[in-house]
Formats: sequence, structure tokens, C-alpha cells
Amino acid sequence: MPQDMPPAGGYTQVQYKRNIPVRGFSPMVYLAGMVGAVTYGMYKYYYSSREMHELGREKIWGRLHILPLLQAEEDRDQARRYYADKAREQELLGSENRVYHSDRFVRPTFAYTPSKVTEE
Amino acid sequence: MARRESRFNQQVLIDTTPMPDHIPKVEEIGATSAPLFSASFFIGDRCRAYNDDFMKCKAEANGRGELECLKEGRKVTRCAASVIKDINTHCLKQFTNHWECLEQNNHRLFDCRKDEVEMNACVFDKLGLKKTIPDAPKELTPVHLRQTQIFSRYPGKQWRANEDGSPITDYHKEKA
Repeated sequence: MPQDMPPAGGYTQVQYKRNIPVRGFSPMVYLAGMVGAVTYGMYKYYYSSREMHELGREKIWGRLHILPLLQAEEDRDQARRYYADKAREQELLGSENRVYHSDRFVRPTFAYTPSKVTEE
Repeated sequence: MARRESRFNQQVLIDTTPMPDHIPKVEEIGATSAPLFSASFFIGDRCRAYNDDFMKCKAEANGRGELECLKEGRKVTRCAASVIKDINTHCLKQFTNHWECLEQNNHRLFDCRKDEVEMNACVFDKLGLKKTIPDAPKELTPVHLRQTQIFSRYPGKQWRANEDGSPITDYHKEKA
């Protein structure tokens, strides 16, 4: 009994993939482009970051140089209010009480407000 | 709305009692933030010793620095006031330009390099005070002497320079 045999010359090729032309550049070009962009960005970042570091140093030293000046002004104001409070206490109570069990200077929590200013 | 004034307003809170007589008087500096920041490196150059002395006194006063370091504080204020006075006497134009630029640009020094170069030239010439940034790396150009500023609003060269890198300033031109 004759068997089914392939046709003479073999089967024709089966088209299993679509016949679409390849678009765009090759993947390596995109990869290279990405690497290039990142490298440029890192190059800029490197120098910007160093400059920003130096600018920060400049700014903080600019403030450090005037810090004692501002602190001295504030301290004088605190001392003025402290002596004023002491004089007021002496006048009203006739004695000086130590509020804190400490020699430290304590910024007053409550400020002295003249009582009649808002009434007038 | 509220019918009566709030009791804790500024007018009421300020205690106007003057300083007692046994403490010597000193005139306060009276300058606002922009002029102080503009002059800060010159204040630092001339007054570094007084500043350090005052801060050391505060650190060693064990919490009583407000009352015990008044003398050092007066020295600090007088020294800074002398710097501001000298700059005002000799370099008023450059100083004003620089601090007004700082005021307009949110105190960003890198936006005011042109005015800063003019001011530094004048102050160094007249008062001998020089702007140096402590602890800056030696191998790099100090950031205030770089012609291009990356972060400036107008990037690129901020001022013109001689071949050796020193700035060409209007101050030196006017003087010559």
C-alpha cells in the first residue's frame, strides 16, 4: 500500500513571521545615546555639585562672621531687660528673690507689660 | 471682629527701660541684613580676634554669658561698626551697589559677583581688608573669584579679566 509521501521537491516554506521592515536605529545606537546623555548629566552634576559645596561654605562663613555681632546685640538687650526687671522688683517688693536655683542667666518666660497702656 | 486691641502687641511688649548707668553705652550697629552680609567677610577679616574672644567668653561663662560677656560684646560691636564706617567713607558707591543687589536677589552672592568684584577691589585698595573663605580647598579657585558662576541667573562670565585672571574693574579704571 503506497504511503503519503511529501510532494516532489519538498513542501513550500510556511510563512511564520510577518514581513514588516525594521524601523528606527539599531538598539546599540539608542543605548549609546542614553549612555551619552547620562555621562553629560553626570559631568555637569560633578562640577555643579562642587561649586554648590563651595557656595555653601561661602554663605555659612558670611553668616559666621556677623554672628557674634548679632549675638552681642541680643545679649545687651537681654541684660537691659534683666536689670530693668530687677530694679522693678526692688521697687515693688523691696527685695530680690531668686526664682531659679541656679546662677545661670534664664531668658524670662513672661514679659513685663505695663498695665495701663491699652486702657488709655 | 475683635473690638479691643490685643494686649500682647509689639508696642506693649517692648520694655523701654534704658540700660543702667554702670554699664558703658555702645551704639548699636543699626545695619540691616543685606549690608551686614555684604560686609561680613571684611568684618570677619578685621574683627576675627574680637569675635572669637566673645564667643569663647560665652562658651566658658557657663550659662551666664549674657551678663558677663558684655565687655567683649561691646568690642565686637565697635569693631564691626568701625568696618561699616570705613567702608561707608571710602567705598560707599560700590558697597551700596553690592548690598542692593543682594537685597534684590534673595541674598544670593553668586548673582552679584560683578558688584562684589568692584567692592572687593575698592575695599582692598582703601582699607587693606581682603575677602578670604576659610577652609576652602587650596587647589581650587575660590568660588568668589571664579569668572563663571554656574548657578547665577545669568550664567557665563560675570566680569572681564586680565590675562593673569585678575578682574578688570571700573574702580581701577576710574582711579587710573
